[in-house]
Amino acid sequence: MSKKDSRRTFLSKSAIATLAAIVGSKVVFAENFPKELEPVGLQPDEVKVKIPGKSDQLKILNSKPLSAETPPHLLDDEVTPAHLMFVRNNGIPPEEVDVQKWTLTIDGESVVKPMTFGIKELMDNFDHYSYNLTIECGGNGRAEFNPPAKGNQWGLGGVACTKWTGVRLKDVLNKVGIKDDAVYIGYYGADTHLSGDPDKVVISRGVPIKKALEDETLIAWAMNDQAIPVMNGYPLRLVCGGWPASTSGKWLTRISVRDKEHDGPKMEGQSYRVPKFPVPPGTKVPDDQMKIIESMPVKSIITYPKTGAIIPKGGSFEVRGHAWAGDLKVKKMEISIDFGVTWKTCELKDPINRLAWQRWKINVKLPEFGYYEIWARATDEKGVAQPMVLPGWNPKGYLNNASHRIGVRQG
Amino acid sequence: MEELSKKELVLKQAKLAINFGVGVIAFASIWVFQFTIFPDFFKPEPTIVEFIPDSTEPESVSYFELDSADIENGIHVPTGLIVDDGCQDVMVTCGACHSLDLVTQNRATRDGWKEIIVWMQETQKLWDLGEKEVVILDYLAKNYAPENTGRRKNIENIEWYNL
Repeated sequence: MSKKDSRRTFLSKSAIATLAAIVGSKVVFAENFPKELEPVGLQPDEVKVKIPGKSDQLKILNSKPLSAETPPHLLDDEVTPAHLMFVRNNGIPPEEVDVQKWTLTIDGESVVKPMTFGIKELMDNFDHYSYNLTIECGGNGRAEFNPPAKGNQWGLGGVACTKWTGVRLKDVLNKVGIKDDAVYIGYYGADTHLSGDPDKVVISRGVPIKKALEDETLIAWAMNDQAIPVMNGYPLRLVCGGWPASTSGKWLTRISVRDKEHDGPKMEGQSYRVPKFPVPPGTKVPDDQMKIIESMPVKSIITYPKTGAIIPKGGSFEVRGHAWAGDLKVKKMEISIDFGVTWKTCELKDPINRLAWQRWKINVKLPEFGYYEIWARATDEKGVAQPMVLPGWNPKGYLNNASHRIGVRQG
Repeated sequence: MEELSKKELVLKQAKLAINFGVGVIAFASIWVFQFTIFPDFFKPEPTIVEFIPDSTEPESVSYFELDSADIENGIHVPTGLIVDDGCQDVMVTCGACHSLDLVTQNRATRDGWKEIIVWMQETQKLWDLGEKEVVILDYLAKNYAPENTGRRKNIENIEWYNL
């Protein structure tokens, strides 16, 4: 691949010269500015970002690296349409993708012998599987934490459930041969680091071998029976449903089977980790007291009606949405229209397959004129329910599964 | 014998003079040649000249002016940043790698912002900000400070519509 070459052309202009031209004078401390960088902060078109393949109704949280979430009322479909699936990039997606030449290498301490596959080889040599898989950003809901946690301030829409098609990771790993000491897998992708350094790995996370060998863990080339959207990992992606979306590596080029916990960028330190024990809000937690997030917690969203509905007097209306619980199933779904004083149980469907979100609905009639909030609460198969207030505070603001609320009125 | 050697001596000196002359001409032509093609060869590397602000301006005032047409209600519209001392430094420094959305959507105390800078330096190749760090921290701590939102905020900004 000519990743470096294209990068070089892209970065041909001297950053300092560009900066100086923009600001109309010499830049103080310009000597510290990395040579490879183009300053982006002053690009005049920054406000009109258009994400390739995505609806302009997504809310852009960050235009570089691109992150955008879906307003909950647009997540009403059982299978999230491709143009409505959220985007969370850590670096710059590959600019030129040649599907014919794209390869996936399986290596690491715990493989018998490293092997490399083209996409066609994967398609030809292994059975194909399709699953609807819920993928949620580990930081979904971060915006509500107090004190605030740094990073993209996700509301509710860093989640989607789409149909993924590919081969099982376990079939590929069995073909390559893994040793008994395999502990973890770590992925590598073709995206490049924001600093402009072509050799710096953007993000390389993974899952324990047990999760990697589950039936639903896929190496996917299709989403909703189409090529994967560019921003969601085209042409190849790892998909680990129910776990933080950052474990589902995009633009997948390599999977390393490790004999220890994977140690790629954003596996360690405070990234995608929460304290080992509950802490008061605002606590500084040392790295060695943090643990890796595995399954995402139980959660639900109201996708209909959109918040702000005014209901005619005496009218009833359907309230519906989705519920999911990481590796587990949701066993109960309830709503309250009286600020949590009483709860009504909703009709809840089984998931289409394991790790897919579950649809729920209920008919609601408001008793009289006034302002109401509809609160939604899911309970997983172990009896764990969503909290009404913020769950345990953690330094990086992960795992906020506080109940979704919408405002409605009877006129 | 003596005459011959005298003659030889004269000849030798003549040759020496001619060789020297040729040498000088050759060197001079090479010099002229290189100077035409590489005029900067012996000049020192260009260095970045630090901008010296007007004596009336405090040192923290930045090196370029924002276009007033871009400012609405104290916000620099193209970037979304609050217009205040240090705004341009944030624009140029933070905006080098990521969009300024990442600044405007976050809130932190001065210590919190400092930690973010240190994290970027340790893991994301952010460079030493030198004396600009204070300017940037002052700006961020003042304009993007956290507010206590309690354990759960009211639902805000509801747009009402008839269902």
